[in-house]
Amino acid sequence: MNEPIKMAASLRDLQKHYVLKSETVKALRGISFDVPEGDYVAIMGPSGSGKSTLLNLLGCLDRPTLGSYFLGDADVAQMSDDELSEVRASKLGFVFQSYNLIPQLSVVENIEVPLYYMGQLNAESRARSTGLATMVGLGGRLGHRPAQLSGGQQQRVAIARSLVNDPYFILADEATGNLDSVTTEEILALFQRLNDEGRTIIMVTHEDEVSQHAKRVIWLKDGEVQSDQPVENRDVFTAKRIQEISNNAEVRT
Amino acid sequence: MTRLFRTFKLGLKSLLLHPMRSALTVLGIFIGVASVIWLLAIGEGISREAQRQIEDLGAENIIVRSVKPPDGASGVGGTVDDFGVKRSEAEMILATVPTIEHVVPIRELQQNFIYNGNPNAKPVDGRLVGCTPEYAAINRLEVARGHFITHREVDAERSVCVISAVLADRLFPSEDPINKQMYLPEKLEYFSIVGVLKKRNATAAIGGSLSAQDFSLDVYIPISTMFQRMGDREIKRTGASFSISSFELSQITIQVSNVQDVPRTAELIESTLMDGNRDRQDIAVVVPYELLEQAKTTRLMFMMFMGLIAAVSLIVGGIGIMNIMLATVTERTREIGIRRALGGKRSDITQQFLVETISLSVVGGLTGVLGGLLCPLVVYYAREGVKQCAPDFYANLPEVAKIMSPEIVPASIPIAFFISVVVGVIFGIYPAIRAAKMDPIDALRHE
Ligand SMILES: Nc1ncnc2c1ncn2[C@@H]1O[C@H](COP(=O)(O)OP(=O)(O)OP(=O)(O)O)[C@@H](O)[C@H]1O
Ligand SMILES: [Mg+2]
Repeated sequence: MNEPIKMAASLRDLQKHYVLKSETVKALRGISFDVPEGDYVAIMGPSGSGKSTLLNLLGCLDRPTLGSYFLGDADVAQMSDDELSEVRASKLGFVFQSYNLIPQLSVVENIEVPLYYMGQLNAESRARSTGLATMVGLGGRLGHRPAQLSGGQQQRVAIARSLVNDPYFILADEATGNLDSVTTEEILALFQRLNDEGRTIIMVTHEDEVSQHAKRVIWLKDGEVQSDQPVENRDVFTAKRIQEISNNAEVRT
Repeated sequence: MTRLFRTFKLGLKSLLLHPMRSALTVLGIFIGVASVIWLLAIGEGISREAQRQIEDLGAENIIVRSVKPPDGASGVGGTVDDFGVKRSEAEMILATVPTIEHVVPIRELQQNFIYNGNPNAKPVDGRLVGCTPEYAAINRLEVARGHFITHREVDAERSVCVISAVLADRLFPSEDPINKQMYLPEKLEYFSIVGVLKKRNATAAIGGSLSAQDFSLDVYIPISTMFQRMGDREIKRTGASFSISSFELSQITIQVSNVQDVPRTAELIESTLMDGNRDRQDIAVVVPYELLEQAKTTRLMFMMFMGLIAAVSLIVGGIGIMNIMLATVTERTREIGIRRALGGKRSDITQQFLVETISLSVVGGLTGVLGGLLCPLVVYYAREGVKQCAPDFYANLPEVAKIMSPEIVPASIPIAFFISVVVGVIFGIYPAIRAAKMDPIDALRHE
């Protein structure tokens, strides 16, 4: 007997139209796919194909024009603005291309922001945030400001932040786009470790080397899914390599 | 609880990101709040002073003053018309007006005084006042030694006098003045001193008809004695020329039994005196009670005016806050996007920016209250400073500026503080709502 696979997200005929003065831009024209728990998806496609639009929908930052989007059991398409905010705070983790840390807050405080909006700030949550900072190798920099950190370090803070609310999945839009190859490798090693531990990850990228680390690649073209395939010859870091990279990262911090 | 604390902590952190900017914004509110308290305190101080001066004249009194007609109005060479209020009129008022307690006739002359036991001493220039015993009570004169003029002395037309404290010091620096003889060289008259008064402050000049009264160099004698010895005619030599004037009384002060009756009584007296002569120019009726009522409305208007100025400065401070907050919101668009993406609701964003503006205005309000409380002290030292550094300038200052001391109006402190918070909310709400309205996706993309 096979247990039915639990879905982190499931999209059915999802459409997004932007109504402009003279025309209507159909950025997404009917997207359907499922993301089972524990999946590691890379979304790729040419510029303007609708990757960011799709990710914004997945991230509940926007509502679809047509179609349905189930996050666990809840239909996001029908939610109010405040409900969407609650979903973002409690069920999603974001990692952005430009890190997007809040400049006046320290490392731990940045990590805590989603908890703040969930109304769950306490000693326990502080310990959790500190633990996550340590996990991404920034245990010694809890009180630092974003401006005092390198790009890679800031991105690791962002990853810690995306995990603090124990999300259904992590959404990463060009998370390595601003980083050099060594730091990119650090971040990808971190993603792989998280995925190995059971975290679901959906990331947008246009670098083949990056997408090669995912388990599955969805190609978009003109707002439609062109292909949706598992990654052959997936680039996997060995446990030893991950150890090495994170050691390196810690030395550099 | 922790959350609200966090919100405030965050607000302070964000404000401290631009300390100079925040300080200047706070300064705007500080000035607004402090000026509310200052202006009200100064307004209160000035009107209290005015009220005190009027009350000095006695709210229950009606004063009828003789006014000397302009030179040339009187007859030429020897014949001099009587002017001013008459003894008969004083008696008539006492007899016919029912609501009256006392009528005090007063006649004042400018005289030189000498202590007879020390003829070499320089004469002191002072004021000789003929009056009745009630004069002391009505003008709040207190006797230090001896007694004030008595009814018996008035009836017997005795040559006795009571002298003021300052005059006593000048004429008798080292002796007890009681029972000494005082000499009036111009009148060739002696008076025996029966009493010395305590020091008394001057009253204010009110309107044109009643000049300030300085009681410091006064000598009081029975009015009957004055009439008996000196008559109604007064000859003054000034250098080669001399002037003659003739008047029975300088003033009558009428004390009304009940303050409520003052306006009615004043009307009655006025019509009695003006009888048959609508435009009698040689007397003036002064009613301190009416002045007091007038002063109260003036005070109200004054306070409102001051309040208006203060309100304007608070609004200016509020606009300063709004300006800064709008700039801050634009500048922190990206942060707003991040917060929305991480689960912040619109209401959370509104709250965050409101907390910041309120923090600014509360800090401004608190420091403003402190600054406001310093008002009496600052005014005191400023006055002393001017007195020391620019005595000429100080001498030319209006009387009020010299004696007025600001009175902090207690209610102005909570009011000013409350208003500052309200200003923070009112001027903060628009930028905060604008921040909350932003689309998270656009905000995240903002550079
Ligand atoms: N707010 C908007 N209003 C109107 N049209 C939009 C809006 N956002 C996106 N579009 C349009 O939708 C289409 C998809 O845009 P999207 O940003 O999703 O592309 P993308 O795949 O992320 O491209 P890139 O790789 O350049 O980031 C584009 O044609 C774009 O012009
Ligand atoms: Mg994009």
